[in-house]
Amino acid sequence: MANQETKVVDNIIASRRSLLVGGGAALAALALAKPASAAASVTSYTDNDILNFALNLEYLEANFYYLAAFGTTIDKANAASMAAGGPSAGIPITGTGTAGTVTVKANPKVPFKTVTVGSYATETAIEEGKHVLFLQSVLGSYGVAQPAIDLENSFNTLANAAGIAPTFDPFAADADFLIGAYIFEDVGVSAYHGAAPLISTTSSGKTILAAAVGIHAVEAYHAGLVRNSILALDPTGSLGLLGYTQKISATRSTLALQAPQSPANPLDPTPDDYGVSDGVFTVSLAGGANVPRTNVVDATTDYVLGFARSTTEVLNIVTGGGATTAGTPAKGVFFPSGLNGLFV
Amino acid sequence: MNLSDLYQKGVSRRNFLVGAGAIGAASVLEGCSNDGTITTAPTSGVTDNDILNFALNLEYLEAEFFLHAATGSGLASADVSGTGTAGSVTGGSQVAGLTAQQQDYVNEIAYTEQQHVRFLRSALGSAAIARPAIDIVNSFNALASAAGIGASFNPYANWDSFLVGSFVFEDVGVTAYSGAAPLISAAGIAAGLLNYAAGIQAVEAYHAGSVRTFITARAIAGGSSYPYLGYANQVSTLRATLGGGNETPLTLPTSTSTPSSIVAANSSNAVGYARTTDQVLHIVYGTAGGAGVKSGAFFPAGLNGTISVTGS
Repeated sequence: MANQETKVVDNIIASRRSLLVGGGAALAALALAKPASAAASVTSYTDNDILNFALNLEYLEANFYYLAAFGTTIDKANAASMAAGGPSAGIPITGTGTAGTVTVKANPKVPFKTVTVGSYATETAIEEGKHVLFLQSVLGSYGVAQPAIDLENSFNTLANAAGIAPTFDPFAADADFLIGAYIFEDVGVSAYHGAAPLISTTSSGKTILAAAVGIHAVEAYHAGLVRNSILALDPTGSLGLLGYTQKISATRSTLALQAPQSPANPLDPTPDDYGVSDGVFTVSLAGGANVPRTNVVDATTDYVLGFARSTTEVLNIVTGGGATTAGTPAKGVFFPSGLNGLFV
Repeated sequence: MNLSDLYQKGVSRRNFLVGAGAIGAASVLEGCSNDGTITTAPTSGVTDNDILNFALNLEYLEAEFFLHAATGSGLASADVSGTGTAGSVTGGSQVAGLTAQQQDYVNEIAYTEQQHVRFLRSALGSAAIARPAIDIVNSFNALASAAGIGASFNPYANWDSFLVGSFVFEDVGVTAYSGAAPLISAAGIAAGLLNYAAGIQAVEAYHAGSVRTFITARAIAGGSSYPYLGYANQVSTLRATLGGGNETPLTLPTSTSTPSSIVAANSSNAVGYARTTDQVLHIVYGTAGGAGVKSGAFFPAGLNGTISVTGS
């Protein structure tokens, strides 16, 4: 066990070093003009348009995890992905709209040191890949192509904006990977949540809704997994990981809430995102007043309901505040050429 | 223990044992495809308030379990009144021997479920059901016996036992909300009910993912001498028998390249499971399939509200 623990500590130190290169920066790196919003201008859409919005996000997540776990993009089947339960052929990335490629550093496979984090990455990669395939199967020929995705410069930009470091490599080590995953999962949960009430109430709409809430649940399982793992790796916050989650959450909230939902959504308060912590919040339980609690769940502090985000809010996060002009597609950060589909 | 308690204990155990006898059928159910849609006919003719009250019953149960685990006592009296037959709570105690952070985590879940009770009660107003009778001691013993874990199981004994106790509930809560979401009316969706239901579902899934991560990480660290992952999977098998499949057992990863099994979802498309209200009732009543089941296990006097008796 000592050997294993030594590896973990080495891993954390290496990770901390890479995260702490340089000092803080400002949100100035990102466009923060009060937006009129692009997606909010969409007034006529179908359930398939909503699913296509989700498919863009699943392309992003699936590629991140495939690269971390297997070192390849999702369209390249390999022995490791197949051994872990992935499809025997590459996942299709073609479809409607403008197809793009993935920008990432050379040899992105994370040199995982811990069985826990490595196995979590492997599981999540397979599941996100299946989400891509599932949405494609539902959408058929209406499905969007994979847009251009940036998994290199994007993390630098976000880390800079969050005041974490000028550069950040989520593929460097176990802890870095968890922080990278942290950036995505809560956003996925809030995106599916926000989209659910947009789905039609027809019979076919109900079928789509059932699937959407099922994927929503899986994203929240992933988010709980990632947040729990970060707390386990840095229980006191002394390694800085809890602080990073809090800065990332604050940045996501700032980006998202440039475009609050209209009409106002009670699940869309300010802030709409909380990092991982222990003892920051105290609560009153029926059997005890003002007891400290962890914050593993990302939810409202009053009734503990998950946050819902509009498509525009989600666009603002994944493009770094790109959804600032009505009618003009959002692009930037993770989607340098924008998303494909109607909600852009 | 009074006569009524003894009677209920007997009923609960018998119900769970009926479930255990049907384990052969579980393997068939596990083979069924579940593409995220509801495969059994959904409950028809129910109102949005009926659905919220069904959820409130489950939140009462979770709140009582987690609040007791955190503090040794349950919901405040102001949070349990309502329509239907009010009942008391049997069992429950503070989890022993926790580290400060483990205690803080239990506090977080307890707070979550307490607030979900308060939220649903607020949303329902005068239509809110009262807390029914809840058993969080004999139920676990009966469950442990039916699952083959042992003659008894105390989820308050220590951290690991608490994790297994938590495991009993969280995945079920997620599937219950997945199943209920498509039942909400168009008017209810316009009024925000789907939004709220999804908000609660997300939190249940965060907790479920977190609990499964705790157990998996403890099992990786503890190796073959750690029995609790096996206990959790025995619970999962029992739930599959009672609740129409819809289960993904935990695994013990042995390398960084073998997948863990944190997420409970259909393995073919990674879409989370949905359970019908009947399937959820069979689980919380600890009684295998069939119509007319109206009480047992965690709810010795049944649920309050319209959705309380199995229709299949």
